[in-house]
Amino acid sequence: MWSRMWEHRALYVAISPFYILFAVFGLFPIGFSLYLAFHKWDGIGVMTYNGFNNFKYMLTDAEFWQAVGNTFMIWIYSTIPMLFFALIIAFLLHAPFVKFRTLFRVGYFLPNVTSIVAVAIIFGALFANNYGFLNYLLQSVGLPVVEWLNAPWGIKVAISSMVVWRWTGYNAVIYLAGLQSIPQTLYEAAKIDGASAIQSFFRITIPMLRPVILFTVITSTIGGMQLFTEPQVLVGNDGGAGAAGMTIVLYLYRESFINNYFGYGAAVGWGMFLIIALFSIVNWKLVQGKSS
Amino acid sequence: MVCVLLISGCSIWPGQDDSANNKKVALTLWYWNRSIDDKLIARAKEKFPNIELTAQKIGGDFKAKLKTTLAARSGEPDIVALNDWIMELFPSEDRFYNLYDLGAEDIEDQYLPWKWKQGVTPSGQMIGFPMDTGPTALFYREDLFKEAGLPSEPEDVTRQINSWDAYATAGEQLKEKFAGKVYLTDNIGSVYNQVLSQGAERYFRPDGSFIGMDSALVRTSWDTSIAFKEKGLLANADGWTPGWNAAMNNGEIASFVGAVWMKQVLQEAAPDTSGKWRVARAPGGDGNNGGSFLSILKSSEHPQEAFELVRWLQSPENQLEQYQTLNLFPSAPGVFDDPAMKEEEPFFGGQATGPVFAESAQQVPDAFFGERYPSVHNIITRRLNDVAKQNADPQQVWTDTVHRVERELQR
Repeated sequence: MWSRMWEHRALYVAISPFYILFAVFGLFPIGFSLYLAFHKWDGIGVMTYNGFNNFKYMLTDAEFWQAVGNTFMIWIYSTIPMLFFALIIAFLLHAPFVKFRTLFRVGYFLPNVTSIVAVAIIFGALFANNYGFLNYLLQSVGLPVVEWLNAPWGIKVAISSMVVWRWTGYNAVIYLAGLQSIPQTLYEAAKIDGASAIQSFFRITIPMLRPVILFTVITSTIGGMQLFTEPQVLVGNDGGAGAAGMTIVLYLYRESFINNYFGYGAAVGWGMFLIIALFSIVNWKLVQGKSS
Repeated sequence: MVCVLLISGCSIWPGQDDSANNKKVALTLWYWNRSIDDKLIARAKEKFPNIELTAQKIGGDFKAKLKTTLAARSGEPDIVALNDWIMELFPSEDRFYNLYDLGAEDIEDQYLPWKWKQGVTPSGQMIGFPMDTGPTALFYREDLFKEAGLPSEPEDVTRQINSWDAYATAGEQLKEKFAGKVYLTDNIGSVYNQVLSQGAERYFRPDGSFIGMDSALVRTSWDTSIAFKEKGLLANADGWTPGWNAAMNNGEIASFVGAVWMKQVLQEAAPDTSGKWRVARAPGGDGNNGGSFLSILKSSEHPQEAFELVRWLQSPENQLEQYQTLNLFPSAPGVFDDPAMKEEEPFFGGQATGPVFAESAQQVPDAFFGERYPSVHNIITRRLNDVAKQNADPQQVWTDTVHRVERELQR
């Protein structure tokens, strides 16, 4: 084998940059974080072996579980409306009667490339308890103000709305690509058989889109579990009032970089890895299950 | 070529020291914007012709960048500015030069003793040289206080509103007069912080042991904060938010206890209220929030030169100059009597606030923080916010907090 590799050394050299970069910036940090998860380290001083204590602490840590719960709530609040709107937008963009389709596609995709920090600042101004735009609207129609950023659900709604705003267009573009790959002949055949638009949507479009839907569900699960910048900029490192906006990654960040428990932070990272892996498998089963 | 570099770099000829060689000593300095006056740094380069100073303004999360650099053990600066989180670095004291070894003792009497001690680790190593300080005082709206029938001249306010109880009573009067449209102060965390900062201890003894959540100071600070919430004196406006700025500018908040550097923050947040603010001594006593230090890292090859530079940058005269240019409050009390510290300020209705803070700065009690201060303090203020903003039951929250702190200390 080695002689064959040597024979093709020029090719291996040509593809090596990726593997070298991956080893340095991908593989090494992963291995190091696993090592770190079994140690106690303040980031500067000596590391001391800590056994499974970090993991034990994590499993009995109410704040960690609260962060897990918050992350799931925000994921549900954001993913369901996001994918729903994305599907509708994609369907409309695909429809022949819509004009300026390219313009709309660009328009819907634009939020995705906007800086999240800027978005969080704008949403902060929308949802602010005092002098917030939403409360201004509520007041001007004679309704009582809502303390969005003091209520546990309000914080989650604010964060979720940011996620929805940012990712709906992205998912719509992916759905659109999926829609365009469905053969037009299926619809024509359905039409001849007398199917209504709604029937062909649920009987043809949705089943044909299933792999694309699975893809978007899994990517938004991974993205949703890793939510960080939105809550951090909106409500700060402590997750806002009652830590209602504390997500798993925000918790990991605070424990590592604010409180200097780097070993514990690494353990939380591995905990999160397990959660994402489990959750992705569950999603896979749910979405894939019916079609097989 | 490589040989020449190696030889010149290692100076293998004994007897030919750097100055004889007429070679400059290269020093790097890390600081953040507005912690040292850029003009002063330019003057330092003239003052020390033998030093080639590279001063780098580090933006973003300064603490994280410094810690990462320390962890990497590479690319460390010679001199670094540290904020009041200096105690977090006490466990790594071996990474810093002991400034006492470099001659700091000779000038110790020129600086405020409590400030000086904050830069000395429990084992007696001095790792931080005093820069500016943050003595606290009561900022209040003269016009609102007068309208509510409260004392409004700074001397009267200082005399009459001299305790947290008296302050709360004044707040109730204010609330009644303005039918709940004006709040006494901004948020629960700031009340807790300020009562705590007036005490002579925090959560830990210098030997590292925990004093306990039932210490008189923690209980007083907690109970005072809860009482302020229950009496409806808090605007629930968090610092550093647009909401805080707006509430200050709209006159919804009549006063707050804050450090001297809040002058700048307030002037920028509430330009419309110029001339209406005054400063009196804080109810309940004097305290300190914030303030910075300069340290010399162990990796530096020229600690003595670095120390001379630090000593000059933070000399009483230069601190006075930076008070005038950047509003950095001196830690050298020798300059407190200078006319520059007594200038009248239009934002504060022509009051000279310098003497109020100078008086406060000299009365700040000694307090040991300990490297776990931030995490314990953070747990408590976080839980207080639950009481203030979500109407959580104070007794239940207290029990939870005690439990949470105990758990924190076990790790």
